[in-house]
Amino acid sequence: MTSLAAFCLIGGMLSVYTLLDGYDLGAAAISPFLTKTRAERSAVVESIGPFWSGNEVWLVAAGAALFALFPQAYAVSFSGFYLPFIVVLWLLMFRGIAIELREHLPGVIWMDFWDAAFSVSSALLILLFGVALGNLVRGLQLDANGYFLGTFSSLLNPYAAAVGVLAVVALAQHGLAYVAERVDGPLGERALRHVGRLWWLVFVAYLAVTAATVAERRSDLASSPLSIVASLAALGALGAVWWFAGRRRAAPAFLASASFLAGLLVAAAATMYPYLIRPYPGAAGGLTIFQASPPTATLALTLLISSVGLAAVIVYSAFVRRRMALKVTVHDDRSV
Amino acid sequence: MDVVLADRLQFAFTIMFHYLFPIGTMGIAPFIAWYNFRALTTGDRLCFQAARFWTKIFAVNFAIGVVTGIPMEFQFGTNWAAFSAKTGSVIGQPLMMEGVYAFFLESVFLGVLLYGRERVSPALYTASAIVVWLGAWLSGFFIVVVDAWMQHPVGYSIGPGGRIQLRDLAALVFSPFAAWQFAHVVTGAIVAGGFILAGVGAYYLLAKRDVEFGREFVRTGVLAALVSSALVIFPTGDRNSDNVTAYQPIKLAAMEGLFKSRHGAPLAIIGMPDVAGRTLIDPVFAPDLLSFLAYGNFRANVAGLTSYATALWPPVELTYYAYHVMVGLGTIFIAVAAGAAFLLWRRRLFATPLALWALLLIMPFPYIASEAGWVVAEVGRQPWIVYGLMKTQTAASPNVVTGETIFTLIGFVGMYFLLGVLFLFLTLREIGIGPADEPAPGGVPAAGLGAEA
Ligand code: HDD
Ligand code: HEM
Ligand code: HEM
Repeated sequence: MTSLAAFCLIGGMLSVYTLLDGYDLGAAAISPFLTKTRAERSAVVESIGPFWSGNEVWLVAAGAALFALFPQAYAVSFSGFYLPFIVVLWLLMFRGIAIELREHLPGVIWMDFWDAAFSVSSALLILLFGVALGNLVRGLQLDANGYFLGTFSSLLNPYAAAVGVLAVVALAQHGLAYVAERVDGPLGERALRHVGRLWWLVFVAYLAVTAATVAERRSDLASSPLSIVASLAALGALGAVWWFAGRRRAAPAFLASASFLAGLLVAAAATMYPYLIRPYPGAAGGLTIFQASPPTATLALTLLISSVGLAAVIVYSAFVRRRMALKVTVHDDRSV
Repeated sequence: MDVVLADRLQFAFTIMFHYLFPIGTMGIAPFIAWYNFRALTTGDRLCFQAARFWTKIFAVNFAIGVVTGIPMEFQFGTNWAAFSAKTGSVIGQPLMMEGVYAFFLESVFLGVLLYGRERVSPALYTASAIVVWLGAWLSGFFIVVVDAWMQHPVGYSIGPGGRIQLRDLAALVFSPFAAWQFAHVVTGAIVAGGFILAGVGAYYLLAKRDVEFGREFVRTGVLAALVSSALVIFPTGDRNSDNVTAYQPIKLAAMEGLFKSRHGAPLAIIGMPDVAGRTLIDPVFAPDLLSFLAYGNFRANVAGLTSYATALWPPVELTYYAYHVMVGLGTIFIAVAAGAAFLLWRRRLFATPLALWALLLIMPFPYIASEAGWVVAEVGRQPWIVYGLMKTQTAASPNVVTGETIFTLIGFVGMYFLLGVLFLFLTLREIGIGPADEPAPGGVPAAGLGAEA
């Protein structure tokens, strides 16, 4: 019971991370295709500026929660994917520096440089996160202690690549919906039109990944009805994105996009359960939530402390967001 | 090179680089809160602009602190998997609390501080500055709890498979070792913050620009540096030494370069340890003083390194020199801060270029003292990663090879070099622009007020 709660806590934190930082990453990745002037690019950065760092903390805190709740899984997964992980860290660094420092360095060359770093590192981050999730759902080649045995290239299998592509298009759509909601004027309207266009790609990627998942996991899908329900709910939410984007209603489109992502993540978590790291192909081994955790009393205490803290975080983040909620406008005079 | 050595090099490099930025954050945040608070209560234009100015410098510092902190959080898993698997249920706890209780606070409210000037009320704005300060100190506290546990493990039990499990969270978080270590770390950061304020102020006075601000920064900075330089030695440094004496006597012997046990052990002021010869070369001693400092008794017996197996010795030279650098600099800080405070009191400081130059040039040294202190604590802890429980040699990831660690270390070195250059450039640029350009309260164009000043 406590193990299940711990699994849900970490899954929940990673999902909140995806919904929140997802729009930062998605807006950054799509920005070169969306914006026409430097002023518009600045507006995109400005729309996420006050929040991205707090959004990223969801990832840091989820990592630390994994450390506390499932130390074995933390150790095995991070060291098992040593190089990909370090690359993710470097990309996160690039992204953060690009956002924070672009306003501090004068001159158009610098600004163009940071904007490019911002978009490229964000796009690559989404792709890597998607590939990682794909591999987790599909399963990994493991030794008896749960350490990863396969090669780097075995991580780039077609299934994981497909999930990576879905992640890129889905978060790009999420980022567009966010920009549409936050930015006034022609840029916001254009972003909403782009949601409608990108939607078809998301839809196709969703169908492809769903079909591939059914093929990969045929044997045990029946045992996780939640994954089927969540996946269908995601489809419904995706439909709602299309509906609201078509009716030029940005805020509901953004919420629908968030629900779509949440549905996908719940479906993925449900196919994983009770594994934290599952073996491929269906062999013995792997780490389940029951093997990998500390004693129940410690788990319960950790859960209590973190839930109280996170509840407070949600309250004051919402408060701050409400106070700071001014629409961003494109300043043409700033088109340096 | 063996993989543990590569991992140690990588950890030492990345943490020492990361720590440069928390020093700045923890050391400058209280001043930002203070200036905002004064601007709110007195409506003083100078305080208002000073708060804006330091917030900009803080922002650059914070950004680099965040991006260099994230690799730290995950390095336990990537490079020290055996250590993480064995101790995660203990040290994961304060790390998680750091994320949930400190990083969120800091990041969310820094968003207000950087972008909210025109969007939120002045009271909420000032409150945010105070919360950011609190968040920075809390981050430091929780991470020090982790380190203090590695220095002096408490509140744990040994579970199945030799895994170390948390038994008593309160004992972990309220460990006296952690409390004194944190007090020392934070006062060390304020030494840095105070001297940064004073140094930047001295620069404006020497350059004969922004003189009003220069005076204010020098005054506040010198006083803060004086108080914190005293606190960093007594009681906090002293109590840290007591803890080391009580729990890690081998580290104490290495710090002091004491090879042979003796009653009435002398304190080595200078001297070079010769490990092969088991002696200090060219020492200058203060007789009996070490016995007194360690045990409050001039004749007490202090155990020397040779009373322990050499396998339990930390690297002696590094521990010894780092300790002497820290303590030597601590003495210099007191002297400089006291001298400057004296001149301030006699109203001569602003007109004494020599003193202003001293304040300007001392700025990097608190950083060196803090880094040296960490080398004492961490290198002196060797060969243990968790004192008495787990050896560093057994802590690394079993399936990461040396080549990977070296490759990523080179990557970190390259990236951090660029970050360092960028940081210096941006900070110097903000100092060059200066505080007078900041918009004044109520949106009055700054230029007008600056001219009137
Ligand atoms: C401005 C910085 C600064 C200054 C002037 C001093 N220290 Fe320090 N010292 C630190 C900054 C620091 C630190 C960076 O904050 C450390 C590293 C780990 C820690 O707990 O604090 C540290 C560690 C540290 C340790 C090792 C603790 C351990 O191994 O766990 C001892 C024994 C002392 N200090 C004692 C002193 C004494 C007696 C000083 C008298 C001058 C002194 N320090 C000046
Ligand atoms: C910012 C301040 C810190 C500095 C400058 C610092 C410095 C160092 C150095 C120089 C080493 C290498 C020692 C050696 O291998 O001989 C080291 C090792 C290490 N430190 Fe620290 N440290 C700091 C804080 C921490 C904290 C807060 C933790 C725990 C959360 C920590 C955990 C470790 C670990 C796991 C190692 C690697 C294993 C080892 O060599 O002992 N350090 N640190
Ligand atoms: C191995 C040890 C360490 C780890 C794992 C670590 C981790 C991190 C992380 C992930 C961040 C970014 C937080 C964010 O996203 O807002 C950060 C920033 C910070 N860290 Fe560290 N850190 C370590 C050592 C230290 C030490 C020794 C101190 C101080 C005593 C410290 C104090 C801070 C502070 C005050 C911040 C706030 C932002 C900044 O100043 O850069 N950290 N750290």
